[in-house]
Formats: sequence, C-alpha cells, structure tokens
Amino acid sequence: MTETATPGAGTDETFVPSLATRGLTKSFGGVRAIDGADVTFHKGRINALIGPNGSGKTTFFNCVTGMIKPDAGTVTLEGRDITAKPPHRIAAAGIGRSFQLCRIFPRLTVLENMLVGVRSPSVLHRLAGSRNDADIEKARELLRRVGIDHLEQSEARDISYGQQKLLELAGVLMVDPETIMLDEPAGGVNPALIGRIGTLVRELNAEGRTFVIVEHNMDMVMSLSDHVVVFDRGRPIAEGPPSVVQHDPRVLEAYLGV
Amino acid sequence: MRSASDTTSRSTFDRVLLGARVVALAVVAVLVLTFPSTASDPFILSVGVVIASYAALAVSWNFVGGFTGYISLGHAAYSGLGGYATALFITRADLDPWVALFVGALVVAVLAVPIGIASLRVRGASFVIVSIALVLILLLVAQSWASLTGGAQGLRVPRPFGEDVLRPEQHERFFFIHVAFISVALLLWWAIDRSRFGMGLKAIREDEDKAQALGVPTGAYKLTVFVISAFMTATAGGLYALWFGYLDPIFQFSILIGSYMVLMSLLGGIRSLFGPVLGAVVVGYSLEFFKVHYGDSQFHLVALGLLLALVVLFMPDGVLPAIGSLVERFRPDKRTSIREMTAEELLEHNERVETARAGDAPPRERDLATVPSNQEER
Repeated sequence: MTETATPGAGTDETFVPSLATRGLTKSFGGVRAIDGADVTFHKGRINALIGPNGSGKTTFFNCVTGMIKPDAGTVTLEGRDITAKPPHRIAAAGIGRSFQLCRIFPRLTVLENMLVGVRSPSVLHRLAGSRNDADIEKARELLRRVGIDHLEQSEARDISYGQQKLLELAGVLMVDPETIMLDEPAGGVNPALIGRIGTLVRELNAEGRTFVIVEHNMDMVMSLSDHVVVFDRGRPIAEGPPSVVQHDPRVLEAYLGV
Repeated sequence: MRSASDTTSRSTFDRVLLGARVVALAVVAVLVLTFPSTASDPFILSVGVVIASYAALAVSWNFVGGFTGYISLGHAAYSGLGGYATALFITRADLDPWVALFVGALVVAVLAVPIGIASLRVRGASFVIVSIALVLILLLVAQSWASLTGGAQGLRVPRPFGEDVLRPEQHERFFFIHVAFISVALLLWWAIDRSRFGMGLKAIREDEDKAQALGVPTGAYKLTVFVISAFMTATAGGLYALWFGYLDPIFQFSILIGSYMVLMSLLGGIRSLFGPVLGAVVVGYSLEFFKVHYGDSQFHLVALGLLLALVVLFMPDGVLPAIGSLVERFRPDKRTSIREMTAEELLEHNERVETARAGDAPPRERDLATVPSNQEER
C-alpha cells in the first residue's frame, strides 16, 4: 500500500492541469500531516479531495492557500509557482477558499461582509469609498444568486448557519476566483441546502470555474465531482472519476481499515 | 416590490435619525466652541484643555484599536516620544515650536514602522504585552539618558506663545488648537472608515485569517494604520508638552496613560467615530473630579476600575453603540432574518411550488433556486 498514484494521471483527453503540488510536505512535531503529496487538479472541473479523518486534507488546503507554510515541495497554479506565498497574494492569483467551520465577519452586516473581498489594483482604489454603486451592485447580485439578498442589512452573526455558509460562498465569489476551494461545503447543513449548494457549484463550474472540494458527504462527492483524489496519511492513494474511485480496493482499505 | 415600500418607510426613519444627529452635533459644536468664554475661571479652562488632550489621545489610539481590534496598552510610548521629540527639536535644533511638533511626530511615525512590523506579528494578549513592554523600556531610557532627556529631573518645554500671553489666554488658545486637531483626526478616521481600506481593517478586526484569504493584505494594512495612529498620538503628545511646558518621564511613559486611552475608547465605543471623544469627556472629567475632591489618594483609580467593570458588564460595545441599538429598536420595519414571510404567504408559496413540481418532471434545480432560504433552514 505504499504505491502513489501517478500525478495527473488521466486517460481523460481534455485534461488541463490547474492547481498542482509536487512533493508537498508538512510536519507538525513528529506527525507528517502531508507526506510528499503530488496532486494535480483538473482545470474547469469539479475536483473532490476525500479521505479518512486526519488524512491531511485540511492541512493540504492550508498549505496550498498559504495559511501555513509547507516544509518542502511546490504548489503551482497553471504553471505559476505560488509556493508559500502569503494568503492575500494567492487570493489575488485567483484562488478563493472557504473554511471548514464556516468563517464570516460576525459583527459586519451581510453586505459589508461582501465588500471585504474586492480586488484593489491601486492604492487610490483602496482609499476610495467602500460603499460605491459598482461594488454594491455586484455584491447584491451575488447575494441574490445565493438567495440571501433580503438579509443584506443583518449582522452576519444574526443569520442562520446555513445562511452563513451561503454568505461565505458569495463573499469568495466577490474576488472573482478562477479556482474555488471549499472545505466541507455540506458540513452541518440540512439536505435541502446541500442540494442548493450543489446546484450553485454546478452553475459556477459551468461558467468555467475550477472547484476543489473537501467533503465527507459521499453522496455529494459522487454526484457532483468529475475527478476524485483520495488522501490517506498525507498523500494521494488513488484518483480518477468517482465511479472508478468508489470501487478502488485501496480506497476501501483506507476508509475501512480492512 | 418589497424594497420599494421599505425604502420609503425606512428613509422617513432615517431622515429623523439624521436630523437628530445633525442637531446633536451642532449643539455639541456650539458648547465646545463657547466653552472657553463660559468657563468660570482659569482652572476650569485648564481642565477643559486636559480633557481635550485626553480626547486627542483617545481618538488617535482608536485608529489601531477601533479598526483592527489590536488593543495597545502602550500608546503612551508614542505620546511620550512625541512630547520629548517636540521639546528636543525646539531646545536642541532651535526649530519653531509648531515645526518641531510636526517633525517630532514624523520621527515617531518613522520609528513606529519597525516597532509595528515587530509587534503586529502577534495577536491578542501577546500584542498587549509587547505594547506594554515598549513603554517600560522607554521609561527606563528616558530616566537614564539624562544628558538628552533630563532624566528623572524632567524636561522643560519652551512655550510657543510669548511671555505677554497670560495663562488663561494660553489655555484658551490650546483648547482651540486641541479641538482643531481632534476635528482633523475625526475627519481622517471617518474617511478611513468608509474606504475599502477601512473595510479591510474592520475585516481584520473580525477575522484576520479570513480577511487575508479574501485578498486583504493584512500586514500592510495593519502597519499603515499603526503608523497613522503613532503619528497622531505623537502629535497629541507634543501638543500636551507645548501646553504643559514640562515633561516628567514617569508621567509620560506610564502604563496608566495608555490604559486611559483604552478605557476612554472602550467606554464611548471603539467602533464609533465619536465614541473615544465621549469616553474622554466622561473619564477625563471623573479623573479631575476625583483628584480635586480626594486629593492625592488613589481613589480616582478605584473609581475608574468600577466604571470600566460597569461598562464591560452592561455596555460591552460602549455607550454610543448602546444608544444606537436602543434607537434601532424603534425602527418601524426592523429587518430580521427570522420572519420574512407571513404564514399566509408561506402557504401560498408552498402551493405554488407544489403545482410547479406537479407540472414538470425534473424540478430539482429550479425549485431549490426559488425557495427563499429562510424556509429551508431551522
């Protein structure tokens, strides 16, 4: 079981690499959370990253998005090296992310939450008024899209957890990321909302955005994703279309410990 | 359609609110501007200058505290340095007092860059401790480097106005200078508050990692506002030095002064523009009151401690936000996330969805997209 899946392996002819890591390694004390991971995600697809608890998925996310610095290895986005860049540079490079336990700005209103993620090309742009028509119009459109535009004046801490999840997704969209990484989008939300989030992901993907999703809800993973990467002990052990991965003996072993 | 009806009723309420604000602001402005002529004696006038000086410090502190939520207990470092820099530029470099004030504040701002880079790396309690450490270090430096600072003897600061200007006249001039400075500081705070830069700073206050993941360059933003705050605090400290005419290291580099800035801002409300000013008036007045009535006892500190405890218990956001939310309760169409539809509307909506579902076979996506979010959650 030491075999590593070939990076970016694809019989898939339309395969275009998007986000990729080579030899990515991160240890916490004696624990190797990520152990030389070579992963390539497909551009324009919905990629899923699954694996048992503690297999390093969230650490992998944090290394890729610059929240923690990897000990070794590289991260590239369409060939550009983004290894260990600060998170705001990685955001500017076109990666948006959500957090495992949904994170919003609790004491700002829903609309203000949206206005944080505005790309600023210049210092003057940053000093200009935050509540300008263009930004607000864009924010409202996205809030409408996820279905919480009626809450724009509420403080974010006052809306329900499900609504906060939608707000977080909408807030990420304000930055116009080409690649969106979602850490457990279905975690702690009811089935109807899971359906709605799935629909949104599909629509956004159809517009050309690449998704990388960490998820435990297997129904969602199997129905939503085009490409699944399975993590175990800090490295990928299998990858491929969901139907294939589902029956891979290595995956069953990792999950069930047989 | 909902928005149309809302806009009218909301704007009526908002117009009343705006009117009330303008009237309140005008009344306060008149009271402030007429204070020197109505003050009964020079002592009261000097208390007014002290309170104005506290307000200038608190507003300057609030650039960091209010926007980023980084609570610095050591801002006396910058007011103290500003005072000493102003004094030394006058006495050693023969600069005009007002030029010395500006140059001194600039020097402090430059010093604040490395200090900010080092101290803003840590958050929460660690930042508080680092900020305190700086004041203690500066106190030791000011006391020991006697050839420059006068050591424990203190340092005389030449008066900017000639000998012919009498005490009350001095107080009056300095009162208006402080008011002018506070006005500029408030204007700057307001401009930052409404900018994209300010939105990024407030996001840092709420969740720094999240803000950075959304592309906010948190390090640069924090440092910028920290340096602005240091510059303003140093100017306020320099103004105090010019007015008081004497610098004592124990008083200049004291944790107490930094704590006053925090207490005043928290009391008035660090998220609000005028919060620190209100806090400075309340705390400054109480401090002077207790000092007059209880002399050299430390009773004023006990009273301040009690005041802080009461505010934290009953108005954790400060006085102004507490008043604000009280007023908001009277908003006629208060928006909540709990009930956006009446029971009848919900029934009607559900029926519509049902018929639509019966109508065509693969309803899933469209239905989910039309159901208002609050119906599908707890």
